Amino acid sequence: MLEVEVAGMKLRNPVMLASGILGSKHSSLLRIAEFAGAVVSKSVGVERREGYRNPAVLNRKCCIVNAVGLASPGAEVFSGELREFSMKSKTPLVVSLFASRPDEFASLADYFPFASAFELNLSCPHAENAGMVLGVDEKLVKKCVQVIKDVTDKPVFAKLTPNVTDIVDIGRAAEEGGADAVVAVNTVKAMAVDIFSRKPVLSNIRGGMSGKALKGIALRCVWDLYEELEIPVIGCGGISSWKDALEFILAGASAVQVGSAFYYSYRAIEGIVRGLEEYLRLTGEKIKDLIGAAHENA
Amino acid sequence: MYCLRVVEVNRFERAEVVSLKFDRKLRGHPGQFVMLNVFGFEEIPISLSSPDTLMIKAAGETTRYLQKVKKGDLFGIRGPFGRPFSLPAREEKSYLVAGGIGIAPLNYLYARLKEMGRDVVVIHGVRSSDEILFDYPEIATDDGSYGFKGNAVQLFKRLLDTSEPFRVYACGPRPMLFSLYREIKRLGALERAEFSLERYMRCGIGLCGSCVKSGGLRVCVEGPVFRGDEISEGDFLV
Repeated sequence: MLEVEVAGMKLRNPVMLASGILGSKHSSLLRIAEFAGAVVSKSVGVERREGYRNPAVLNRKCCIVNAVGLASPGAEVFSGELREFSMKSKTPLVVSLFASRPDEFASLADYFPFASAFELNLSCPHAENAGMVLGVDEKLVKKCVQVIKDVTDKPVFAKLTPNVTDIVDIGRAAEEGGADAVVAVNTVKAMAVDIFSRKPVLSNIRGGMSGKALKGIALRCVWDLYEELEIPVIGCGGISSWKDALEFILAGASAVQVGSAFYYSYRAIEGIVRGLEEYLRLTGEKIKDLIGAAHENA
Repeated sequence: MYCLRVVEVNRFERAEVVSLKFDRKLRGHPGQFVMLNVFGFEEIPISLSSPDTLMIKAAGETTRYLQKVKKGDLFGIRGPFGRPFSLPAREEKSYLVAGGIGIAPLNYLYARLKEMGRDVVVIHGVRSSDEILFDYPEIATDDGSYGFKGNAVQLFKRLLDTSEPFRVYACGPRPMLFSLYREIKRLGALERAEFSLERYMRCGIGLCGSCVKSGGLRVCVEGPVFRGDEISEGDFLV
């Protein structure tokens, strides 16, 4: 009922953990993997990276604003942590990678032979020399994907930023580079100011926004990408209920990713999976037959 | 995030500890913490030491700056967050075992238990008499300069009466908690003990994963207070 196939990966359900949320330790990944169709790790680069100092995350009424700054222990240490997960769980593990140059992606793949797939972070909006700086440039996006496809047979997802004039151009570049799927979207550029101290809240001043407020933006990106691309689209941004997830699937997402919803409940994914299951039991349909169904009615 | 103003500052200079009282009571419970945004410095997790006070020991750049705070200063607050201490049954005697600044959350718990008319013993271990913050009767000093000579766990072992139902609540440095944990485990009483753990935190709201401990438990949400049976020895060794 809930099984989907995305880029050759068979998932028992279409609900994945999004990168950057609870994905730094094998123990939290294991807890989430109990229900998730797949989990995506926190992004990792070659070298250790400190990230920005606190305040790095702020919960607001309809969203979360953050500038963690791609904090990471580096590929070698993190590979040990993720290996622990892969030995204990059958749930597919997608390893999210960041780099400052296209060729750096190639050297990262070797650290994670146990990965089920790779997701390229071409979209973090607040890190210097990584993420979005690559992801706003079609040529660089294509190059990044080509470089890693040359060194691995595993599926490669390109995680896209909504902070561009037309996300479809970037998605097409990823497809031309050989990406097996695109993930839409990462956070939207944002910030927060405290009205009492009259100062920006985040230590980095500028950050990215996730959570419920993002849903309409992300949904539109998924819709547009589904119309223009051949490869599957994975929806991400503001999904916190099974209804949100279904909306993304109807708009063309082959799977969805859930992150900030863990602020509301640690059982966010479990709730979405159960809700989708109930719904399909009522309608007697399979989730894979609903992917993009809204386009036929448009 | 909202802002609170400091209305009273209490300095314990020899202990390098400051107690800040705010203009409003926070709707929290003993064991919970807030993310304290020190403008121009960092945002740090601090346990409540009463409904409207925070006690901070100088450790890093931000906490050293906090020793110099003045009445009227403004701070950003998120929270209170996290799981508080659970309360004992009427017949249970509570042993509150603190090491150093770990007395802060237990001081709040003590006040709550006294309001409820419960039987409580507070055991506070410090390095020397300079670090005594409250005049609780059971003080242990490493150097013997006041009260019992030895550490809080040794004093706890002396005072514990296992013939009566009891509960243990603990907060302090990791080695002290670990030694207490082993003692409680030996007594087969892990589910009757609660430990307040500390971890580096970024978000405080269960998202970033920085403070995850064994079992996939987040110190900021499922903790900071954990029952002994939710803790593994490795949690004290990180």
